[in-house]
This record gives sequence, C-alpha cells and structure tokens, in this order.
Amino acid sequence: MSPEIPSGAKAAGRARAAVGLRASRPAHALFVLPFVAVYALLLLWPLAKGWFISFHDHDLLSNDSFYVGFQNYLELLDDDVFHQVVWNTLRFVLISVPVFVVLSLMLALALNRPGRLAAVLRAIFFCASVFSVTLITLVWQLALMPERGLVAQGSAALGLPQLPWLTSDLLALPTLALVTVWWIIGLPMMLFLSALQQIPSDVYEAAALDNASRWRTLTHVTLPALKRTVALVAVIEVIRQFQVFPQIMLMTNGGPNNTTRPIVQFIYEQAFMQLSLGYATAASQVLLAVMLVGVSVQMWLERREAAQGVRR
Amino acid sequence: MTPMLRKGWFDRAVMALLIVLAALWMLPLLWVLALSFKPNELLMVRTDVFLAPPYTLANYADILQTSAVFRWLGNSALVAALQTLGVLVLSSLAGYGFARCEFPGRRWLFPLVLFGLAVPSQSVFIPLHRLFSDWGLQNTYAGLALPGLAAPFGVFLMTQYFKAVPIDLEEAALLDNASRFKTFLRVVLPLTLPAQATLGIFTFLACWNDYLWPLVIATQPEMYTLTRGLASTQTNFAQSEGLGFLMAQAVFAGAPVLMIYLFFQKHLVTAVAGTGRS
Amino acid sequence: MAALKLEQICKRYGAVQVIPDLSLDVAPGEFIVFLGPSGCGKTSLLRMIAGLEEVSGGRIEIGGKDVTHAAPGQRQLAMVFQHYALYPHMTVRENLAFGLRNIALAEEEIDRRIQEAARMLELDALLARKPGQLSGGQRQRVAIGRAVVKEPALFLFDEPLSNLDAALRGRTRLELAQLHRRLGATMIFVTHDQIEAMTLATRIVVMNAGRIEQVAPPSELYRRPATRFVAGFIGTPGMNFVPVRRLADRQGLAAIELPGGQELLTRVPAAVPGSELTLGIRPEHLVTAARGPLPAQVEMVEFLGERSLAHVRLVDGTRAIATVAGASPAAGELVQLDLVMDEAHLFDKQGLAHHAVAQGAAA
Repeated sequence: MSPEIPSGAKAAGRARAAVGLRASRPAHALFVLPFVAVYALLLLWPLAKGWFISFHDHDLLSNDSFYVGFQNYLELLDDDVFHQVVWNTLRFVLISVPVFVVLSLMLALALNRPGRLAAVLRAIFFCASVFSVTLITLVWQLALMPERGLVAQGSAALGLPQLPWLTSDLLALPTLALVTVWWIIGLPMMLFLSALQQIPSDVYEAAALDNASRWRTLTHVTLPALKRTVALVAVIEVIRQFQVFPQIMLMTNGGPNNTTRPIVQFIYEQAFMQLSLGYATAASQVLLAVMLVGVSVQMWLERREAAQGVRR
Repeated sequence: MTPMLRKGWFDRAVMALLIVLAALWMLPLLWVLALSFKPNELLMVRTDVFLAPPYTLANYADILQTSAVFRWLGNSALVAALQTLGVLVLSSLAGYGFARCEFPGRRWLFPLVLFGLAVPSQSVFIPLHRLFSDWGLQNTYAGLALPGLAAPFGVFLMTQYFKAVPIDLEEAALLDNASRFKTFLRVVLPLTLPAQATLGIFTFLACWNDYLWPLVIATQPEMYTLTRGLASTQTNFAQSEGLGFLMAQAVFAGAPVLMIYLFFQKHLVTAVAGTGRS
Repeated sequence: MAALKLEQICKRYGAVQVIPDLSLDVAPGEFIVFLGPSGCGKTSLLRMIAGLEEVSGGRIEIGGKDVTHAAPGQRQLAMVFQHYALYPHMTVRENLAFGLRNIALAEEEIDRRIQEAARMLELDALLARKPGQLSGGQRQRVAIGRAVVKEPALFLFDEPLSNLDAALRGRTRLELAQLHRRLGATMIFVTHDQIEAMTLATRIVVMNAGRIEQVAPPSELYRRPATRFVAGFIGTPGMNFVPVRRLADRQGLAAIELPGGQELLTRVPAAVPGSELTLGIRPEHLVTAARGPLPAQVEMVEFLGERSLAHVRLVDGTRAIATVAGASPAAGELVQLDLVMDEAHLFDKQGLAHHAVAQGAAA
C-alpha cells in the first residue's frame, strides 16, 4: 500500500514526486533487483574478469597467473593461426550473409500469400531452424559422407561428379556456409515476411491504379519499403555468423588444414586444450570488440532509417 | 499481403519451383528418417535403397535398451524447463520495473542491461566457467541452467510488452488501492500471457539447442544434454558400423523439438518475427 | 465545509506552465463540469485531483483533509476513465470487487455493495461476463459501477461520453443526471462538449489555457458570460461579435456606432473602459425586421424547422447569424436587423464582458 505523505510538505515549487504512477520510490527497484543481481553476477562480472585475465598469462595447469600487460594481444597480432582463424570467419560471413539475405528475401516475397500451400511451405523452410545444431551436423555429416551419403548418391544418380565436400581446402568452408543457410534460413525469412505484412495494402492499390507492372511494383513499392529490414537482417546475420562454432567444429573440426576453424573454436581450444587462459580471453575480447562494432552499426542504421523516414 | 497474386503461368511456375525446393529442403531429414528403419548391416554396404524393404525397428529397440539418449533428453528437458521458468520470472519482474516504475538509478541501469544484448556468450564463457568451477557447479543442473538467466533479451522483450499495456488500467488499479506489486501480479501480468508464451518457447528452444555452454560445463557423460550427447556419438566407427543406429538416434533427438514446433508454431513465429533475433 | 477545495493550484510540465494559478471551491452535492477546448488543462486538473498527476504548487483538500500528496486510493474518490479502464481478464463482478478487496472490506459488505450497484445500473445479468463480451454502453455502466461501490466522497468523470455514439450519449446523459440525483454525491465531470456541460452541471468551470474564465451555473454562463471566450464557447450557433466604434456616453450608458453608420444607445453602463469595443449578441436576439439599426446582406438562409437562421454579412464585412422573423429573405437580399437591447453586451479590448442592464433595473 502506498503510504500517505503527511501534509506538512511545503507546496513551493516542485513537491516531492509522491503521487501517481511516475512517483519514484526506491522500493520499485525491487522489481528489477533479482534480474540485475543475476545479470551482474553472471554476465558483467565474468565480462570484467575476462578483460582482466586477458592482461595476464594464466596457465590453467599450474594455476599461475602473472601480469603481462598487452602481451597477449600483441601475440595475437602476430599469431598466424589467429590470422587464419579471423580470415576463415570473415570468409564464412562473406559467403553466408549475402546468401541469407537474398534467399530469405526471395522466399519471403514468394511465400507472402494466403492459403494452405504457402503456409505449409513456410513451415517447411522454417522447420529446420528448430533443431539443435548437433542434430543438424549429424544429419549433414551423414548426408555428405563419401559414397554412402545422400549427396554422393544423388550426384551419382544425376551423373554429376563426386566432390570432396568437407575434405577439400577449397570447398569445406562454402559447404559449411550452405549447410548453415539450410539450417536457419527460416529466421530471416520470417523477419522479411513480417516486414512485408506491415506494408499497408493501399500502397499497392495505388500502384495498381497507376498501372504499375509487377516488376515496377516490386522495385518501386516493395523493395524500398524493405530497405530497413534488409539492412537489419544483414547486420543481424553478420553478428550471428561471426560467432559460428558448433557446426564447424563438429563437421570438420577446423580442418582441413585450418581452412575452416572459426574464432570461437580458437578461443575454446586455447582455453580448454592449450590451457592458456590469458590468451584465450584476449581473443574473446577481440571478438567482443567486433561484436560491439557490429551492434553499433546496427543501431546507427536503425536510427538513420527512422530519421529519414520513408524515401522515394 | 502482396496483391501481386494474379494467377498466371508465372505464379504457377514460382509455386512449382518452391515446392521442388521445399522437397529438396526436407530431403536430408526424410532420408535420415527412412534410413533409421534399415538394418545396420545393410547400410554398411549400400544406402540407396531407402524406400524398399527390408525395414526394421531394431535400431529403435537398440536405442531403448542401450543408448543414453533418454538420459540426455531428460537432462535437456530439465535444464530447459528450469531455465525457462527462471527467465520468465526474472524477465517479467524486471520488465515491469523498467517499463512502468520509477526508482533511483533507473536512468543508467536500463542502458546497462541493454548493453548485455551486444555481448556474445562466447566472450564470457571462459571466466564464467572458472567461476562455476570455483563454486563447484560443474556437472550440476544449476550449473547448466543458471547462465541463461543473465541474458537481457527476455527483459528487453517484456519491457516492450509491458509498455504496450494501456496505462489507464494501472491508474485504475492505483485508484483501487492496489499496491504496485499487486497491480503487477493481478492486473498487468495476466495481460501479457502471449508474450510469456513467446518468451517461454523461445528460451526453451534456445536452451535445448545450446552447445557451447553444456560442452564446457558438463564433462561427465551422465550430465550431457542432448546436443552434447548427440555430438559425442559422431565417431567414425559409429558412421561405418552403426549407421542405422545413428539415424535412429537423430530421429529420437529431433522428435520432441519437432512436436513442440508443430504445436506452438504460431507463437514461435511471432517470437522470431517480432524480435529479429535467435 | 467544501467537498473539494483547490487552492492556488499550478501545474508545470518541464518549462511549460500549463496551469498558472487556479482556485476553486466545490460544495457537497454539486455537479461541477470542467469545460474547455483541448489543451486547456481540464484533464490535467482532474488527474491532479485524482492523484494521478503531481501538483507543481498549491493545495488540494477533499472533505477538509489535505490530500495534495496523498496516494490516489486514499483520497475518498473514484474515477470513471475515458476508455473505462476495465480489467479485461476479470469478470464484471471481480472488476467491481477488486478495489474493495484491496482495502480488506468484509466479503458480505462487498457482496452487498455490488448487488446494490448492479441493481442501480442494471448490471445483474452481466456480473459473470468479461469486459470483452460487453457493448460500449454496458462497459461504461460497469465503469460507473466500479466507482459507485467505493461509496466515495467525490466522483470524477474523464470525458465518459466521448466514446459513445450520439444516440447512446443522449440516453447516458440522462442516466448520469439521474445517478447524481439518486446518490446526492459530489461529481466532477470533464468535457469539451458544451451541450453535455449545460445539461448536466450545477455549475460549470469554463477553462482556457490553464485559467478559469468563469465559474457559474449554466443559465448565467449563457446569459451573462464573463469573457469573450466564454461567450463564444457557449451556445450553438455561437454569439455574434461585431466590432463597433464608441460614441459619447448618454444617460450614463455607452453609445456605439454600428457598421452602416447607425448610432445606437446600448443598455450597458458607461463605465465600460476604452474605445475599442465589440458588440456581442446572440443569434436569437438579432432579428430580421422591416426597420432596424443594422443593415446587412443575406448570404444564406438555414431552415431548421422551428426557426430559420440567416447568415448575413454586415457593411464592414463582418459575418453574423440572425434569426428570421416573418418571411424568409432570399440569398443576396438586403435586410435590416433589429437587436434585443437587453441582451446586447459589450466586450472591451481585454475580452471582459460588460452586460446590459435590464430596463428599469438599477445600474
């Protein structure tokens, strides 16, 4: 029960914010306290700790830790493996994100219609994304098996050459990118669908009255309205795919010849196999920095689009 | 709705193409399903006869007897349920606090929480792991479930939803002498059930499918979640000798999720479309 | 003891002062209407009384108790919201009981009050339903019921009729008037519709830009508006305002020159300040005649059934509305307008009204 404030309070100027929903009371903080406590303990504290550890040489075996300043970071700068790893991740992002955006947009455009058939198709394309990554990697490892795998069998049946999908330096990463697209295409597709449904139908009606052809309607009405979503999807996928890990580790373990190893796997191996904690956390800080840049870009894009309003 | 729906050959061609694409999309999963009914010995030799007999349920029988899939399923279910419950409670409370309440410190606390949205779990899992081993939470259900509670996504989502509840309801409750907490519990919270469902399903699935954290925190096989356990079976041996078994295991692992998906399809789609994240 | 006392209330939103300095006394049993255009501050004032908004300065007393900083639930009042604010997931009965349960009233008492309110407002059949299953009018009665069961000292209504369609509005107006008579409660009602105000209020508080223009019973507002704003706001069609030139006073009364040159001795005492004056006269007191001091040209005639209104244009271009007496003039025709002098008021440069004094009455 809100307590009554005694009438002795002076009425001059701004009285204590005591009435109404906007009254500020410390007790209200109890609503957010449980979450904030967990958040501070399990996210902020480890974040700070990781930052701290990255400046140390911390060997897990001996549990020795001594301050080394920026040495870990300098080592990372020099580390060829780390370079390769960053390059791999970058390549992965560069291959997968355009495919994500274009393919999901096309699917959304084609499936943005009423009717049972479209609903079923949408469900099918979305379906794969609910399965766990290990299930997907299992399925695709089996499908990509040489000779006995689905792809091998299919290629043989169609008279196509048998390619070393996961074992070739050249093909392994693109294959993994495509598997990832297959897996989670549903999510950006849904984003586009939801954006498409927010375009008011009278814009289309006006275009129809203006005798616009389908192509013109697409390029002059639909796509401009989706600009913001395209940017959003692109940035979201960049952020997510930069964190890629399980499917690569489980399908190729970073190979062949380090051509697929992503940043996160590097971090994991440094910490749990090489047991050099400082080095691992330094690498994870680099990843965090990249993430923060990505998110800032995302927010900047959103703000810019909002400020400019609808163009054309 | 795109009124570009004029019937015609173009439309039909597009739909036909999509049907083919969708069929191809489903193919790997259907292939696995089909092969799970084939005996291992046959599969060692050839895998192209997936439609014709012989069929067998031996693989499934094997799973029921020997596989740890049940244990993994149980672990995943328990951990996901715990985490979901925790997230719903914490996010609802905090969401209401940030959406509707004023208190000292709110101005900087909310951006601080939003900042967490940008932090990937891969940047904190190492120090977090150290923390949990220090506390002896390795290989425990608490250890598996707790980190997920710190994700600010739920708070972000619930804050948006609470802001959408008409404020005059709370003013009416204020005039009705309801305390702030009572207003939250009896008036506002019941109106956010769709959001709760969305967040719940979303969190459940994210936890169910998580790989990295269970990988580092659960080192004993009996604490493996489904994702971890399934990964542990992907050895070369299994692939050559026990292919059918592997397939059946995959089906087993995928079935619960598929059922949840089919059941809650609507809410799940809302979750994704409304938030733009996974 | 006043049911409600507002003392020097002021309200600021940041740097903007919405209500500078407002005082008002409300006697028990009154039906007070805050009337004014959007943005005049009437809703802010109501919400401050309710305790939903903070008071930037001043005091509020309800029933003699200072409630300026009291929680809304502790002010002995109940409010009917514009959009009803019924709890959607609770039944009507639970909606009515919620507030009573929160103050730990005995269950029998709660039941008794709900029963009585349900009877009074014809809600008996609806008690088990949820708001989503009710029509707009029914929802409004539930909102009123929720206020009634609290047995408050003060009822607050925030534009409750604006969401209803025209037919329902008329009927609900009547029901509200009946409710007021029945309960004998003090009611404060906010609206921008002057017809609602005129029909329901015992006194109307006309507000403009955060200030009270006039507080008076409806008849006085109509016949003796204190300011030009009030004169123009009350009455449909509105009062005519004609700029006039002041002439030398005669017989202690102000004299003016009308557009068209005719001199006219008003019944307004000569104490009127200034020489820039406006004549205010309502359409029903401006009549077409065979001979009259004000020439005009008819632009259009509106036939309203019981009367016809002539939209005219005066010599100086001012537009006015006059009542047609006798045969309807044609559009474009030149007519003479006669004035009922007892109702011809003068407004000075500040907008203050100076009323005509009836013939024979003391100045």
